[in-house]
Amino acid sequence: MRADSASGDQRLTDYCVEARGLTKYFDEFKAVDHVDLEVPVGSIYGVLGPNGAGKTTSLRMTLGIIDPDEGTSRLFGSHKPQSVRHRIGYLPEERGLYPGMKAREAIAFMGALRGLDWGEGRRRAATFMAELGLERVIDEKIRKMSKGMAQMVQLIGSIVHAPDLIVLDEPFSGLDPVNQERLETLVRRERDRGATILFSTHVMAHAERLCDRLAIIARSQRRFEGTVDEARALLPMQVRYAPRTGADDGVIAALLPADAQRRGDAWHFAIDDAGVEPLLARITASGHGVAGLSIARPGLHDAFVHIVRQVDAGFAADAAEEAAAEASA
Amino acid sequence: MTPFLKNMAVVARRDFLAIVATPTFLLFLLAPLFMLGMSLVGGLGASQLADSARGAGRIVVVADAGDVAALRSADTRLRDALGGRGPATLDVRIASPKGDDPLVIAQEKGADTYAVMVGPLAAPRIVEREEGSRAGRYLVLLAEEVLRDRAAGAVPPVAPHFESIRSGGTSIAVQQSMGFGAVFAIFLMTLLLAGQTVSSLAEEKGNKVIEILAAAVPLESVFLGKLLGMLGVAVLFIAFWLAMAAGGGLIAATQIDPATLSAAGAGKPVAAMLAVPATGWGFFVGICFVYFIMAFLLLGAVFLGVGAQAGTVREIQMLSLPITIFQVGMFSLSSAAASAPGGPLARFAEIFPFSSPFAMAARAATDDAKAVHLLALGWQLLWVALVIFLSVRMFRAGVLSGKAGWKFWKRRQRA
Repeated sequence: MRADSASGDQRLTDYCVEARGLTKYFDEFKAVDHVDLEVPVGSIYGVLGPNGAGKTTSLRMTLGIIDPDEGTSRLFGSHKPQSVRHRIGYLPEERGLYPGMKAREAIAFMGALRGLDWGEGRRRAATFMAELGLERVIDEKIRKMSKGMAQMVQLIGSIVHAPDLIVLDEPFSGLDPVNQERLETLVRRERDRGATILFSTHVMAHAERLCDRLAIIARSQRRFEGTVDEARALLPMQVRYAPRTGADDGVIAALLPADAQRRGDAWHFAIDDAGVEPLLARITASGHGVAGLSIARPGLHDAFVHIVRQVDAGFAADAAEEAAAEASA
Repeated sequence: MTPFLKNMAVVARRDFLAIVATPTFLLFLLAPLFMLGMSLVGGLGASQLADSARGAGRIVVVADAGDVAALRSADTRLRDALGGRGPATLDVRIASPKGDDPLVIAQEKGADTYAVMVGPLAAPRIVEREEGSRAGRYLVLLAEEVLRDRAAGAVPPVAPHFESIRSGGTSIAVQQSMGFGAVFAIFLMTLLLAGQTVSSLAEEKGNKVIEILAAAVPLESVFLGKLLGMLGVAVLFIAFWLAMAAGGGLIAATQIDPATLSAAGAGKPVAAMLAVPATGWGFFVGICFVYFIMAFLLLGAVFLGVGAQAGTVREIQMLSLPITIFQVGMFSLSSAAASAPGGPLARFAEIFPFSSPFAMAARAATDDAKAVHLLALGWQLLWVALVIFLSVRMFRAGVLSGKAGWKFWKRRQRA
């Protein structure tokens, strides 16, 4: 439970971030449509979604950078994001640093914006840079750094004041695999320190490895909220079966579920609630045998694609219906 | 220090150092070479203003109603006789039953009063600015001419009682020139320095730092911090040139032969140096500097707010013309106010927030009231806050929300 008694509008809460019904229009376009976010204290929370789904706008509304047209947002129980700014670290999607500043100064500056003493900011900058293997560029100007290095500097700048909530918008984009790994380590370390991490991404591998909970946003709305396992459970188990005998496709297909597809020498299909045992019994009885069999739970990637495709299909159906109605009219 | 002020100081510090610690700042510092040319223009303007104010000088006669026509007629005759070279315009007033204090009349604002004559024409009381002045002697002649015109025979000589004005001795014309000088100096400084604020948010918008700032600190402190950072640069600039001027003056004073200076008349006090602004030199110089700061903050806040809405460098460049015109407009208004202190135009310029610092600086030269400056400074600060507040609202609603910069007012059309 966390609360900051300094401000009158704050209340005790188990959530670091509580957003209800966030809605934002950009002219005629509804960029975010009644999105809810509840980020538990001390968790790593992912906001996933395809490009243009409304992730960044949702985060910006949550942090009070832009005002929602509808809905409310609380940070640490407070309706006033400004009153808790010093407890927040933010890495925006569009990276920004003053090119003429040295890395150490840039980090200290970002810390000073959140109330950290300049001297302490410089000292912590050196520590962080050393930990990330960037000590050789600490007194380099930002303009002389590679994009990835500058991004790491900005990331350090967003956590140098040891915030309670770290919001990272697409933090992995633009980083090489080594730095992505470093960033994952850093995120886990900050969580272990006690911070809450809220990040957006459309790269499922990072979310799958890091997130305690996640929300999937597609077409401006939240379509899923839960743990990674809950997301994966949205899809049935996937089976890969290779028969031992060279029987006709038609014969084999008759034994398998209707959605089974042959790819190479194996058949791929999902299994229903009855499980794999009845299928194995049928295959054994038919005498075609088993040259290969694997049963796998779908990954977050599959769940994500499944959800997004469902949403897209719904939109396509609505559009077709509207077109038909217009044509008949 | 409150978090707001602390945030503002962080932004101001960054901006100040980012500007000062660059080679281009040296070029910026040398820009005042253009000032010399502008100063010549300003000097001419002040000179013309002083001339026009001199033309507004007067002599005043307070007489019985029955003497008014005779006085005017005598004035016309005398001026004709002098070839049109009378001392100043004659202002004839009818004496009030309660009596008229010539000292009060002599110190009325809005015109230079060289001499005032009251009482019976045969033995008038004449209050003059300078003892034995031409204006005083002219009033004696005027009284004699009226008495001679009325009398059938010889007229006994007029027995005037002369007094000289002891207070408010500096000419209104000189004070108006000082007022104009203050307006011009503040205008020149703001023209050179405040206009830069229009592009000061362009850097943050270009390199995307604005979102970090907006997430970390209140935008009001970002705007104010940028404004104060630029003000710091401006004050440094002024301090540099004042130091250069003082140093140059000292070097010159030690290098030039005193005999040569004396021969050139440098030993004699210059009239303008002896003149004193109505509020005194110390207060006048101090308040002019404060008004420069207020002018910088007021105009800078407007330019910063307008510039923040610009989406491209080209738009910012295009804004330089209307900004210059706006500044010149404020200068013109305040100059006009300086030439007619106490008038309705001057009052308007003093109240209109964006000309107020200029006009109030001019007022400090001609009006000895000091408390009114506190009121004016409070009023101007209120407007700085208001402009910043509106600028931030516009910026949040328009630019930060990803809407077209200038269309922040456009109504949202929901699907």
